[in-house]
Amino acid sequence: MQTFLQLLFAGLALGAIYALVALGFVVIYRSSQVFNFAHGEFLMFGTFLMTTFLAVGLWWWVALVLAMLATGLLGVGVERAILRPMIGRPVFVTIIMTIFIGLVLRVAVITFWGVGERGMPTPWRTDGGIRLLDAPMLFNALWALVFAGVMLVGFYLLFQRSKLGVAMRATATDQEVALGLGIPVGRVFAVSWLIAGILAALAGIFLGMFPRSVNINMSFVALAAFPAVLIGGLESPLGAVIAGLSLGVLQLLTQGYVNPMLGSFGQNFHQVLPFVLMIGFLVVRPYGLFGTREVERV
Amino acid sequence: MPDRSAVGCPGDGSGKGGRPVLEINNLEVVYNRAVLVLRGVSLTVPDGEVIALLGANGAGKTTLLRALTGLLDIHDGEVTKGRATFEGEDLFGEEPDAIIRKGIAQVMERRRILADLTVEENLLAGAYTRRDPEVRDDLEAQYARFPVLGDRRRSVAGYLSGGEQQMLAVARALMSRPRLLLLDEPTLGLAPMLVDEVARVIQELNQQGISVLLVEQNAATALAISSYGYVMETGKIVHDGPSEKLMEDEDVREFYLGLGGEGRRNYREVKHYRRRKRWLS
Ligand SMILES: Nc1ncnc2c1ncn2[C@@H]1O[C@H](COP(=O)(O)OP(=O)(O)OP(=O)(O)O)[C@@H](O)[C@H]1O
Ligand SMILES: [Mg+2]
Repeated sequence: MQTFLQLLFAGLALGAIYALVALGFVVIYRSSQVFNFAHGEFLMFGTFLMTTFLAVGLWWWVALVLAMLATGLLGVGVERAILRPMIGRPVFVTIIMTIFIGLVLRVAVITFWGVGERGMPTPWRTDGGIRLLDAPMLFNALWALVFAGVMLVGFYLLFQRSKLGVAMRATATDQEVALGLGIPVGRVFAVSWLIAGILAALAGIFLGMFPRSVNINMSFVALAAFPAVLIGGLESPLGAVIAGLSLGVLQLLTQGYVNPMLGSFGQNFHQVLPFVLMIGFLVVRPYGLFGTREVERV
Repeated sequence: MPDRSAVGCPGDGSGKGGRPVLEINNLEVVYNRAVLVLRGVSLTVPDGEVIALLGANGAGKTTLLRALTGLLDIHDGEVTKGRATFEGEDLFGEEPDAIIRKGIAQVMERRRILADLTVEENLLAGAYTRRDPEVRDDLEAQYARFPVLGDRRRSVAGYLSGGEQQMLAVARALMSRPRLLLLDEPTLGLAPMLVDEVARVIQELNQQGISVLLVEQNAATALAISSYGYVMETGKIVHDGPSEKLMEDEDVREFYLGLGGEGRRNYREVKHYRRRKRWLS
């Protein structure tokens, strides 16, 4: 029972990070129909920026906010300068552009920060934690959950309850109608990329603390969040969050219980599991768990 | 059609005959830098009147509305000639939100409600350009005008019936407090009873001082509630006149009301007629 809870907590924390990444994909896709293959590189950029902010002596919380904002603004700039002019072009053009943007970012990060591993200092003790239901929960996991929770609730309120949220959803549903109602669709795009960048940086920073260190492979986490996006349904923020959390938990439980049973073959089974699930889902429910085929009655 | 266009100008009709709110002069629109779709259209909407714009599929009615509301851009269309003014201010070159703030709202063809937003969110989206605190009051006003919408304010708009969706589309447009309402085929696909309902709503709005440009293929309804009408064909105005005159006009009766003088339509004659008219115009 203790092991289970321990795995569950760690899994929830990892899942919360997946949820942040997946939500970033969904927010951008919904507003501007761009599938952002550079999302992982945004995440990596934000994380490296954080290490630099800390290295120059900024207070941790300040560094965190700055790194998130800077990554968000980078997203805004990329959308405005490179992707906005692509509107109306075939989908594969924007896909190739985002892959290209990812490559450029990767090269920039390597040039600037090198390829070595870095640590991510934390304002709390990394070996410390609390006990919950008689099982240990690391501070890292606790804070990851707290931060992700705050961001997700904040996003929910913005998206569902604010005027800007109505504008974002209107734009996602019918761009021409949104324009026709006087909604500044360009600003909606910008806000979406800002939000996605902020979420990506936060996810990267927590990933840098655990279970990985800060390195240039962390952009592949975005790949790991992919299944969450597709299982949740490309258009559904709620789906992305639920699928992200579930995948994190499932992954760690698999690592704890199933991998050992598979012997040497199963060492990395937990890493392929999300993709296996994704393929299964795509076959059975191509529009994902929460994606809708189209609410319309004519 | 020289004598037919001479029957009068808008404002001579039964309406209050105020100064023009909307004036379009010699408008030309080109799509994809290649296709000339509007070929010199002029049209006037006098203050406080309902003006009908009739025309068959592809005549360019929707294109005209896009030009007025700043939505040609996203269709790769462009105004290449002409001028349009609303209460004396130029419209072309303005962004859609600026046009709404001037006081023009539009109900697009096929209703185009935001299917996965709630009824209330649709209305709020219609008030996006407004910053004043009276938006809430206006929501209630729309619910009072359209009780079905009030009853279903929290339901997802995509599940409303076709008629309810049309009412929602109108209510949404009204949320920006327009003085000129552009309606694109609001009776399309509605049962006869609902067509009458829409007509009644338009008349009511008009009585409250909103000027209306009503684009329709349902000529009988449109002419019944408008004071003046225009008939458009392949990008040109080919007829215009006070609505009751248009309703009596043999050609309009035959081609837009389906009430030919001899009762039955003869396709060969139709084609002959069209050819002749094109040559004349
Ligand atoms: N985006 C576009 N690009 C190119 N041509 C277009 C575009 N939109 C419309 N057209 C063309 O312009 C012409 C006028 O179209 P428009 O939609 O304005 O007609 P309409 O009078 O509204 O017709 P309907 O009654 O069917 O709605 C048509 O020939 C149409 O094919
Ligand atoms: Mg049309």
